[in-house]
Amino acid sequence: MSKVFESQLDPVTFEVLKNGFVNLVDQMSEQVLRTCYSFVIYNRDFSSALCDANGNTVMQGTQDISVHVGTLHLTAKAVIEDFGDDIHPGDVFIINDPYRGGTHFNDTRIIRPVFYDGQLIAFMQVNGHWADMGGSVPGSFDVNSKDHYGEGMRIPPVRIWSKGEYLKDVANVLVANMRVPEERLGDLRSQAEATKTGETQLIALIEKYGLDTILTAFAEVQDYVERLTRAKVAALPDGEWETTDYIDMDPEEGDGLIPIKVKMTIKGEEIFYDLSGSHKYIGCFLNSAFGSSMSAAYAGTKTFFPDIPLNSGFYRAVHVELPEDSVVNAPWPVAVTGFCSGAYEKIMNACFELWSHIMPERALACSFNLEYLLIGGWDQRSGYNNYFMWYDWMAGGHGGRHERDGANALSPVFGVGLSIQPCEGQERLSPVITTKHEIVTDSAGPGQFRGGCGVEKGGILTDSNDTVMSYCCDRSRSVTWGIFGGLPSTPHGAWLNKDKEDGQFLGTIFSNVKVKKGDTFTRPSAGGGGLGDPLDRDPQAVLEDVIDEYVSIERAKKDYGVVIREIDREIDLFEIDEEATKAERQFIRQARIGWLEEDIHNVVERYRNGEIDQLDLIRRYGVIIDQVTNTGLPKTTEQNREMMKKRSLAYWT
Amino acid sequence: MSKYRVAVDVGGTFTDVFVFDEETGSIYVTKTSSTPSNPEKGMLDGIAKAKLTGDQITMFSHGTTVGTNALIERKLPKAALVTTKGFRDVTEIRRGTKLDLWDAYNDVAEPYIKRRDRFEVTERVDYSGEILEEVNEAEVRELARVLKRRQVESIAICFMNAYVNGKNERRVKEILKEEMPDVYICTSSETLPEIFEHERMSTTIVNAVLGPIVSKYIQVLEGEMKEIGYQGDILVLHSGGGVMTSETVPRYAARLASSGIAAGAIASKYIANMCGFKNAIGLDMGGTSTDISLMYDNDLRITKDWYIEYGYPIGFPSIEILTIGAGGGSLSWIDEGGSLRNGPQSAGAVPGPACYKLGGTEPTNTDANLVLGRLGTSLLDGQMTLDKEASMKAIENTVASKLNYNVHEAADAIIKVANANMCDALRLISVRRGYDPRDFALVAFGGAGALHGAELAKEMEIPNVIIPAHPGVAAAMGCLLVDVRHDVTKTFLADAGSIKKEELEQEFVEMEKEAISLLEEEGIAPENMNLIRYVDMRYVGQWRTLSVTVDRPLHSLENAVERFHQEHEREFAFRDNEKGIEIYGLRVEAVGTVRKPEFNKEEPSGTLEEALKETRDVYFEESGGFVETAVYDRTKIPVLSEFAGPAIIDQLDSTIVVPPGCTAKVDEYRNIIMSFVKGKGEDEREAASTISTLMN
Repeated sequence: MSKVFESQLDPVTFEVLKNGFVNLVDQMSEQVLRTCYSFVIYNRDFSSALCDANGNTVMQGTQDISVHVGTLHLTAKAVIEDFGDDIHPGDVFIINDPYRGGTHFNDTRIIRPVFYDGQLIAFMQVNGHWADMGGSVPGSFDVNSKDHYGEGMRIPPVRIWSKGEYLKDVANVLVANMRVPEERLGDLRSQAEATKTGETQLIALIEKYGLDTILTAFAEVQDYVERLTRAKVAALPDGEWETTDYIDMDPEEGDGLIPIKVKMTIKGEEIFYDLSGSHKYIGCFLNSAFGSSMSAAYAGTKTFFPDIPLNSGFYRAVHVELPEDSVVNAPWPVAVTGFCSGAYEKIMNACFELWSHIMPERALACSFNLEYLLIGGWDQRSGYNNYFMWYDWMAGGHGGRHERDGANALSPVFGVGLSIQPCEGQERLSPVITTKHEIVTDSAGPGQFRGGCGVEKGGILTDSNDTVMSYCCDRSRSVTWGIFGGLPSTPHGAWLNKDKEDGQFLGTIFSNVKVKKGDTFTRPSAGGGGLGDPLDRDPQAVLEDVIDEYVSIERAKKDYGVVIREIDREIDLFEIDEEATKAERQFIRQARIGWLEEDIHNVVERYRNGEIDQLDLIRRYGVIIDQVTNTGLPKTTEQNREMMKKRSLAYWT
Repeated sequence: MSKYRVAVDVGGTFTDVFVFDEETGSIYVTKTSSTPSNPEKGMLDGIAKAKLTGDQITMFSHGTTVGTNALIERKLPKAALVTTKGFRDVTEIRRGTKLDLWDAYNDVAEPYIKRRDRFEVTERVDYSGEILEEVNEAEVRELARVLKRRQVESIAICFMNAYVNGKNERRVKEILKEEMPDVYICTSSETLPEIFEHERMSTTIVNAVLGPIVSKYIQVLEGEMKEIGYQGDILVLHSGGGVMTSETVPRYAARLASSGIAAGAIASKYIANMCGFKNAIGLDMGGTSTDISLMYDNDLRITKDWYIEYGYPIGFPSIEILTIGAGGGSLSWIDEGGSLRNGPQSAGAVPGPACYKLGGTEPTNTDANLVLGRLGTSLLDGQMTLDKEASMKAIENTVASKLNYNVHEAADAIIKVANANMCDALRLISVRRGYDPRDFALVAFGGAGALHGAELAKEMEIPNVIIPAHPGVAAAMGCLLVDVRHDVTKTFLADAGSIKKEELEQEFVEMEKEAISLLEEEGIAPENMNLIRYVDMRYVGQWRTLSVTVDRPLHSLENAVERFHQEHEREFAFRDNEKGIEIYGLRVEAVGTVRKPEFNKEEPSGTLEEALKETRDVYFEESGGFVETAVYDRTKIPVLSEFAGPAIIDQLDSTIVVPPGCTAKVDEYRNIIMSFVKGKGEDEREAASTISTLMN
C-alpha cells in the first residue's frame, strides 16, 4: 500500500477522533444494555449510531446486532425528510417504520438531534427491539397477518420530546397500544438517556477539538471506510457470481420453494448485488422490506471483511439492487415482521456462499436460521395470576468452514451477540418447565468439514389458563445446505406432544395454537451445512464425533462411509473398520449420483415402509416431504435437487 | 534475627519478589525467571536470591498463574460433569454468543469438560425449590461404577434450580463420595448458589477442574516452605482481591482462576491511599497489555461478569480489571485505508521491538520512545543495550515514509495514537461508568506505565499521576497488602418496598454464619472479623442490578434504597423515584484483617544535583521538538524534592517521563507525584489525608 493519506486532519487527530466516535457509540449501547426493560434488548438485540447532519452514519457500534447494520442512516434520513427545518435543540424523535428504512416494528429507534451554537451537527440514534408493539398476538409476531395492520404499532417519524419538553400525551398514545405499557416507557427513557450520553460526549469532543475539526472528521471517517473498502475490493479479481437460496413456501400456494436470487459483481473497487429474479412477495410475514434486505447484503459482505468499521462510507462501495414488489423489497402494507427468519438470512447465507468462492480461506456453508417459539397465557401457579410470555429462541449450528468444522450451538447469523435465555430464569417467570436443552446427535450437515450441531429444547406446560403457542422460523423444506460437496443438515419444525398418541407436527410457522396444562412441546434448531465431500472426512475425526455422540455409529456409516465398531462405550473404546470403510465409501461414491435421480414416489414409498429415514431422504435422495402429511413434495424436491446438484454433486469425484 | 514479610507475584515470564523487613521497614525487591512446570521453584529461587531462610519469614503471600495457565492450556485433570437429565450440553451451548461478532473464524474456546465426560441423572427441582423427582440411588451408584472405570479424578455436580434447593445435589455427592472417596467433588449449590444454570454450571466446572490442581499446588508449596523452615500460613491471592489460606483453597479453587491480576489493582489502591487519594485509576502497563482498575471512595470496583476465556463465566465477585492489547511492544502500522494504527498486535518477547535486535523489523511503542529520547539506550543498569538505529529504520519504513513525516514526527505520532487508545480504555472504565476522571489520581506502574502516565493524565485532565517507588514489582507488593476475604452470595428476589426487615435480617444472619465459619477455618480471630452486607437492586422491570451496602444489623432499607437511586443516577445519569425497586441478590463480604506492613518515611538527604546522571535531547511536541532534558537517577533523588519537567527519571525497572509543564514531587515514601496544574487536586488530598492515616 503506497497510497498517501489524503486528509485535512493530521493522522493523529484523525485516528483519535475515529476511535473517539467508536467509543461514544459503544458507550450509548452499554448504557442501554444496563438500563433497558425489554428482555430482548437486554439479550443484545439493539444497535447505536452517530449520524451526521445529513443522516449519514459516521460510526456504528462494535457490538451491534448485524440485522440493523446499514439501516440506521435510513431512519435518520426519514426524520430529516419529514421534519426538515422543524428540528430543534432538545427534540427527540421516535420511528420504527420498516417502509421507511426500518427493519420491523419491534426495532424502535430513538433519534436525538445534536446542536452546537445553534447549528444542527449530528444525530444520536439508539435502536432497540421492544418486546411488544401491540397487534393481535403477544410479542407482535402474528404469522397470519398479511399486512401490517394486524402486526402492531407502526410509528413514522414522530417527535416525542419537543425543545426539551417530554410529550407525555404522544408517548401515551403509542404505548397505550402495546402490552405492558410501563415497560415500554422504561425502554423509551433508557434509549433517550443513552442518546443524551452520546450528545454529551460529542459536545466534549467539539469543545476540545473545535467544531470544524469534528465536522471534517465526520466526513473523513466515512471517506476512510470507503477508501479501506475500495482498497480491499480492488485487490480481488473482477467477476460475476450468482446463487439462489429459498424460503420454504408461500403458505397460500403450497408446494414450491420461494427463490431469492443473488447476483454479485465485483468491478474495480466496487461490489454490486442484484437480487432481480427473486420471487414476488408472499402471503405471510417472511418478506423483507428494502432496508432489511440491504442490511443483509451489507452484513453478508462485512462477514468477509471483519475489520472494516461500519458507516456510510462502506455503503458507498457496496451497491444493492432490489426488484420492486418482491419478497426482498415488500411494499407497504405487506407484512414483514418475520423477515429475519425469512428473506433476510437467505440473502445473508447466499452472500456467504458467493464470497466463499472468492475467499475460500474464509468459506462458510449455510448456517441455521433464527427460530422463536412463543407461549402466552395466564399463569395459574400458586401465588401467580398474571399474563405470561414465554418467548424463546435457540442457538444452532453454523456452516462448515475451510479446514474447520462449523461452530456448534451458536446464536443465529443475524446477530451472534444475541444471548439465549437461561431456563432457570424462564421457569421463574412462566409456568413452563424445560425438559431438555441439548445438542442433537446427527444434526450437523455432513462434510469433509461438517457443520456445527443444532440444539433441541423441549418443555411441558404446567398450571395455566387460556394459553396459546406461536412459532416463527423457516427451513423445514429449504433445508440448511452444504457447499463445495457438503450435505444439508436437518429440517426445522415444532412438535406438540411428540411422544404421545395425539402427537402433532405443527410446522415452522403457526400462531394461536391452543395448549393446556400437561402438554409437551419440542423443536430442534438445525445444524450447519457441511463443507466439502463427507467421504473425504478423516475417519479419525468421525470417530471422535462418535465418541462425543455428535454423530451416531449409524450415520457415520451412511453419511461419511466410515464403519465404526463399538468395543466398550463406557470407556470410549471404539474401532474403525478400515476395510469396511473403504468398501462403504466406494459403494456410496458409485450410488449417490443415482440417488439424486431416483423417482420421488418410490423414495417416499420406501420412507413410509421404514426402509429409509428422514435424514436419508434429505441427505441421500434430496427428497423433501410435507412432515404433517408425510407426502412427497414434487416441485420442492425438484428445486431442491437442482440446488444440491450445484452445491454438492458438482464437487464429488 | 530480623523478621520479614515476603510477597511473590508469579508471572508468565518473571517471578517478582518483594521483601519487607518488619524491623527496619526497608524493602528489597528482586526478579527471577518463572518456572511454569513447577512454579514453587521460581518462588524458592526468589527467596534464596533474597538470602532469606524460612524461619525469618513471618508472612508469605503470593499471586499465582497456576490456575490461569491450566485453564488456557487445558492441562486439566480427568474431570466429569454430572447434571440433570436433558442438560448436559448447557456448558457447550452457553448463551450462544460470540465475542467477535464479525469474524466467523474467531471461535469461542472449547468447553473445559468434553461432551463424552458429561453425564446425566434423573432428578428435578422446580423454580420454587420443590423436588419434582428424587435422586435414584441405584442409578447414581451405577454412574459411579462408570466414572471409576473412566478414572475420573474430579466431578462437578450441577442440577437445575439447585440454587433454591441443593438437596438432590448433596445426595448425589454423598453417594459418589461413598463410592469414590478420593475424588474431588463439588456441587453448584455449595460453590455458588445463584440463579442461571450456565453461569452456575460454568463456575462449578472451573472449580472442579482447578480443585485438584490448586490443592496439590498448595500442598507442595506448603511442604517446600516447611522444609526451608517457614511456619506460617501460605496465603494466596484470589480474584476478589483478598487472600485465602490452604484451608479454603480446595473449596473455592475457581477464585484462583485469576490470582495475580488483582494484585496490581490492590497495589494501586494502597499506593493512592498512601499518597492521600481515595479515588484512583490503576494503570499497569506491560509489554503486551495494560490492566486498568478503578477505585472510587476507597472501594475497588467489583464485577461478577468475568472469565478467563470468553463464554465460560466465573460467577465469584472479582475486582474489575479492563485489559487492553496495548503495551510497550504494541506494533504500529498503516492500514489499507491509510490510517495510522497501534496494536493490538504485539511484537511480544520474540522478536520484540526492533531496538532489541532480535529480528523485529516492525516499530513498537518502545522503539518510538527510544527515538524520541524518552528511553535511554542503556536499560537495567547497563545489562541491556538498545539499538536506536534499528528503531529509526523501522519507523522510517513502516510509518514515516507513508505519512510524509520525518522519523521524529512519526515517532511522536505513534506515541500519541498509543496514548489515545489507552485514554479510550481509561474512559471506558471511568466516563462510561459515570466517573469524572478529574476527580481521580492515576497510579501508573508496570514496565511501561511511567513512560506514558503523565501524558495520559494530561489528555484526560487527571490532576495527579503517582509513580510508586517500585513500579516493576508493584503487583508483588499488592500481595502483602490484602486481607483474608470471602464472599457469600445468594440469589434472593423480593420487593424492596414490602419485604419485612426481619426476614431480610434473618437471611443475612444465615449467610453470616457461613461467612464466619469460613473466616474461622482461615484462623482469623473474632476481633479481626469484619462483615459487610450488600444487596443487589434494580428498578422493577429492569434486568441489570447495582450493588449497594446495607446496615448491619438492619434497621431499615431506606438508606440502601437511596444509595441505589444515587448510584443509578451517578452511573446512568437518571433516577426514577416513582418506580418500584426489586431486590435480586444478597452478598456478605467477610474480611479477616491481616496486619499490614508500615512503610518507612525517609528523611531527605543529598541534593537533586547529585542525582543528575546526564542530560540528553528528548522530543516533546509542546516544546517544538528536541530539548535538552535532565536525566535523574531515581534512587539518588532526595525525598521531598520537587522539580519541573521536562525531565527523565531512570531506575532499574522503569523510566519515568516528566513532560514540560509538569511538576514532579517525591514524597517521603519515594512515590513520585506529577501534576500539570500546580495546586489542582490538593483539596482532595487534604480531605483524604485522614484515610491514609487510618490505613497505616
